Amino acid sequence: MSYDVTTQRCGLAALFDLKGSRETIQNWAGDVLPPFPDGPNTRSEKNETELFHIGRDHWIVRSPLSQEDTLESRLNPADCPPDISIVRISDTLTFFRVTGRDTLDVMAVACPLDLHDSVFGPDAVTHTEAFGLKALVLRYADGFEIAVEQSFGDMIEDYLIRAIS
Amino acid sequence: MQRNRRAEGGRIDRSRPLRFTFNGKPYEGYQGDNLASALLANGVRVTARSFKYHRPRGIVGHGPEEPSTLVELDGEDASGNRPATTVPLCDGLSARSVNCWPSPGFDLGGVNQLFSGLLPVGFYYKTFKWPGWHLFEPAIRKAAGLAAAPASPPASGHFEARHAHADVLVAGAGPAGLQAALKAGRAGKRVFLADEGTEAGGSLLNRALTIDGKPAMDWVSGTVAELDALENVTRLQNATVWAYREHNLVMVNECDPDRDGILERSWRVRAGEVVIATGTTERSMVFGNNDRPGVMLASSVQAYLNRWGVVPGQRVVLFTNNNSAYAVAADLAAAGVSVSAILDSRRTVAPEALDLVAGLTVHLATVVSEVRGHKGVRAVKAAPATGGAGTWIECDLLAHSGGWNPNVHLWSQSRGALRFDDDLAAFVPDQPVQACRAVGAAAGDLSLDRIIEGGADLAYGIEPLWRVDVPGQRGMAFLDIQNDVTVSDVHLALREGYSNVEHVKRYTTAGMGIDQGKTGNINIIGTVAMQQGVPLQDVGTTTFRSPYTPVSFGAIGGLREETVLFPYRHTPVTRWNKDNGAVMYEAGARWQRPGYFPKPGEGLQEAVNRECRAVREGVGVYDGSPLGTFELKGRDVPKFLDFIYANIMSSLHPGNGRYGLMLSDDGLILDDGVVLRLDAHRWLLSTSTGHADAVNQHMEKLLQTEFPDWQVMITTVTSQWNNATICGPRSRDVIRALGTDIDLSPEALPFMSFCDGTVAGFPARIVRVSFTGELSYEVNVAPRHMAAMWDKVMEAGAPFGILPVGSESSHVLRVEKGFLSLGHEVDGTVDAYDLGMGWAMSKKKADYTGKRSVMLRRASGRVRRELVGILPVDPDRQIPEGAPLTPGGRKEATEGLVTACVWSVVNNRWVGLALLENGHSRHGEIAHVRMKDDVIPITITKPVFHDPEGKLMRS
Amino acid sequence: MLLIPCPYCGKRNECEFIYGGPVGAKRPDPNAVNDAEWVEYLTVTPNPQGPVQEKWWHARGCGEWLVIWRDTRTHDIMEAPDDAT
Repeated sequence: MSYDVTTQRCGLAALFDLKGSRETIQNWAGDVLPPFPDGPNTRSEKNETELFHIGRDHWIVRSPLSQEDTLESRLNPADCPPDISIVRISDTLTFFRVTGRDTLDVMAVACPLDLHDSVFGPDAVTHTEAFGLKALVLRYADGFEIAVEQSFGDMIEDYLIRAIS
Repeated sequence: MQRNRRAEGGRIDRSRPLRFTFNGKPYEGYQGDNLASALLANGVRVTARSFKYHRPRGIVGHGPEEPSTLVELDGEDASGNRPATTVPLCDGLSARSVNCWPSPGFDLGGVNQLFSGLLPVGFYYKTFKWPGWHLFEPAIRKAAGLAAAPASPPASGHFEARHAHADVLVAGAGPAGLQAALKAGRAGKRVFLADEGTEAGGSLLNRALTIDGKPAMDWVSGTVAELDALENVTRLQNATVWAYREHNLVMVNECDPDRDGILERSWRVRAGEVVIATGTTERSMVFGNNDRPGVMLASSVQAYLNRWGVVPGQRVVLFTNNNSAYAVAADLAAAGVSVSAILDSRRTVAPEALDLVAGLTVHLATVVSEVRGHKGVRAVKAAPATGGAGTWIECDLLAHSGGWNPNVHLWSQSRGALRFDDDLAAFVPDQPVQACRAVGAAAGDLSLDRIIEGGADLAYGIEPLWRVDVPGQRGMAFLDIQNDVTVSDVHLALREGYSNVEHVKRYTTAGMGIDQGKTGNINIIGTVAMQQGVPLQDVGTTTFRSPYTPVSFGAIGGLREETVLFPYRHTPVTRWNKDNGAVMYEAGARWQRPGYFPKPGEGLQEAVNRECRAVREGVGVYDGSPLGTFELKGRDVPKFLDFIYANIMSSLHPGNGRYGLMLSDDGLILDDGVVLRLDAHRWLLSTSTGHADAVNQHMEKLLQTEFPDWQVMITTVTSQWNNATICGPRSRDVIRALGTDIDLSPEALPFMSFCDGTVAGFPARIVRVSFTGELSYEVNVAPRHMAAMWDKVMEAGAPFGILPVGSESSHVLRVEKGFLSLGHEVDGTVDAYDLGMGWAMSKKKADYTGKRSVMLRRASGRVRRELVGILPVDPDRQIPEGAPLTPGGRKEATEGLVTACVWSVVNNRWVGLALLENGHSRHGEIAHVRMKDDVIPITITKPVFHDPEGKLMRS
Repeated sequence: MLLIPCPYCGKRNECEFIYGGPVGAKRPDPNAVNDAEWVEYLTVTPNPQGPVQEKWWHARGCGEWLVIWRDTRTHDIMEAPDDAT
């Protein structure tokens, strides 16, 4: 019997990497970004655009791919002030969605982090390990998302199939 | 026929018979049996042969302490060296004894018994010595071996390794563990309760005890029911806590998980607190022939009787130094078994113990000095403890108890201290080091009344007896039954100077079997203490190491097998490569890359020659995506780059690139790569594929720990940019055919410059770098476009004869140009000057990473190995990479090595590179490669064999 | 498997980190020290039996380089060396 879990390898999303002081980024980006999330390793969302606070002075914006050009023109990485860094990284990550009744079983195989909802809340997002690789892990609706460096996508797909069967 | 099975009683299901075979013979047991209880039920006495002397052995224990009967399981779930007491019986089980042939009853290796004098303690130390050891090794290995590794992995199912987190982890579901789990569970904590047994209860399963006047197992079932109803409690059976690591990481191996398809599950549990409720293990008595089949631990006899309804003998003698065996005798007598005598080494015994066995014969101050019977106990010699003639008592079962050891393995693994408790005559937990506590018997509470309110039990009352020592005793007295270590072995080790208990252990191998001496180690310590006349505390224990019981490698590895044994990375072209016949293999940083593209019937060399010719004479393309790429942003990037690169980068203008060497501060070459300046504050840095992570670490470490004030922000964009590198004299034609808005003229886009635009309709950046020495364009696109882009390159290149180029050809092309490769020419000893790249070391900069160390090393004036080209005097002679160069080819210290040797299509001969002492001043000389059986003369040249002026790549 | 406190992420498994060595002397100006002093800087690193200050990189986490005090005898990770048990 296999685990009652559905996995989905997601298509591209628009992703931008933001580094620098929150004020400068906020001033530069204006209302194209959701409000900045409060705590470390949490996220915020507005109009399908999410902001992941994943490190000291470090965020990732995620939007549907259809918003990529708009974001690019609003964030304007090439011309942003020298003391912040904005880089398009849409192609660098491959996201997987893991949902279903036994999601926690499969996530416990993949990820050493404590994902119990008392510790890893609904707005949690963090870099950690999945199947031995650096991965971005976040809660997503009734499950989780795992993102790895795009070149490892095939391998994670391979692993997920093994973990579920 | 299960002739030793009682008609009723026990926790087995007589309505569910199970058939199994042991050493090829068919038997029957019941659901609830383990292999040992089923064998005893069937009256099988000789179940094993010993490791060294091949003495006949039977079943001794009833759990993981079993030192004697190890079996190999056949069939789908083949595995070796499993104690029979830990193998749950299932229908169709097929098991064999290890270490005997053809059977334990008739074992040809038994002749070893006749030659035991030739196998002294320290045999391995004395035998496996140079130069003769390799003569003995194969024969010894065969004779002394345990089970073989299974021939193939399990036919179906897989292993799983997973992580878990708990506020409280409880190891052991005996009375103390259940209580601790219940308390934490009721308090709402996340509890992880793991127990090695098939069902909860621990020692209560084996003993007929009461709690509050009711059977103790009633309390167990009530507690288990409450625990299982709590959502915050995870309770596992068949789950052994086998390791206690740093910071409360605990390893649990769950056999037979409640999920089809998973053979074993390995849990890595991080716990806030660990409660060690691992109970206690009975230890052996040490006397002559204490290893004969039918000599069993008293608690095991009790367990077989009460839990499995098996009476392992008809006439029983008990031998003890504490009260626990009296309860065993009482249980046996109540079951109608004839108890011939209780021999107690103590002079006095508590009346409540004697009351239990009223009507049975008890001899105080009496020991067993010897056992008679070869393949089974026939009689034991009862001798006065103080010496004097003994008397033989006939019996077929000797149940003995040398006392009890708290199971402190996990405690000790956690680095907690141990203390020898004189009242208990045992090592018990002392001060903890990690967040853990021991409870119950593991903490030294050796009777139920001390563990649980309302529990009724005899007081322990031990007087230790580490070994029987009466005049005239005969027979081998085993301290470690599994590894065949006797009292006289330990005495010999002490005489030979191995006085520390850790040395005694290694020299004699006592306690080094897979049972880790659970029943015998304390007697070894006691024997050493007796011999040296010191207290046991001063002898101390040997180190308790994980695993507590054997764990399958498969469980530790979990899902990691077959294709995911190692990580692998693909580019968007991987699929195309495979479809087009590429031979793929890993080429650094886990990237799967095409080695070469053989046509049908073509070998490696033919394919490589064809690909190289295409690049040199027409056009080729390779997938350069794996190169590490980082975007750097900030005002201080120029200063930073000047610090990490040996040459000057800050003078670069936007739109241009520069090759540079990156050193570590000890002067070694860390990486080479190209830096592009995108605009005033944005830079793109590329690294060699294999060093991307190391360069990232190096940069972040400097920025965060050395220069926190410098404004430099680094973003890894290796996978934001893929590239097709189109190279060869016709490459410009191919890009034009693809269609681009970028001016490709050498004036507009010269060597080492770049331009953004579109290529074949895709947003692209063209970079003019060359790793082949030819005119070359790196066409960078986003990975989402890469596969389509590649197809278009192949289509547009077809009229020009474009070929895909694998990493083998890339290697040839770079060697022809003398371009260095980290790991070939750069091996951690060479510097830029040795490579003839002194130009890459800035003289203007006062300081940069590695400068001082390079200068310091060169100032020593020592002879350097320098990069040269080599031409075998015989142009058809290939030289293996790594081959040594010696002066005149003589058998002398080497003066260098061949770093690369390739067939050069343009030169129609083998050419190579080498690092050679003072090589730069030896061009034109003949040097010699010294092979094992040959000397190959080579001509030393400049390290470049194609277009020495570099006109082509700048064209 | 140590549990290492990251100032940004909290306690994480050692496998998310890369060891960066003990904290040694600050890099001197290479033009202001003699050969022996430079070699000493490069080669002499603290290696005590007891508390040692060391660098770790949270490479598979937030990317922070952090400094901890770790007792090499017990693996205790502490705020300051005085906290050693």
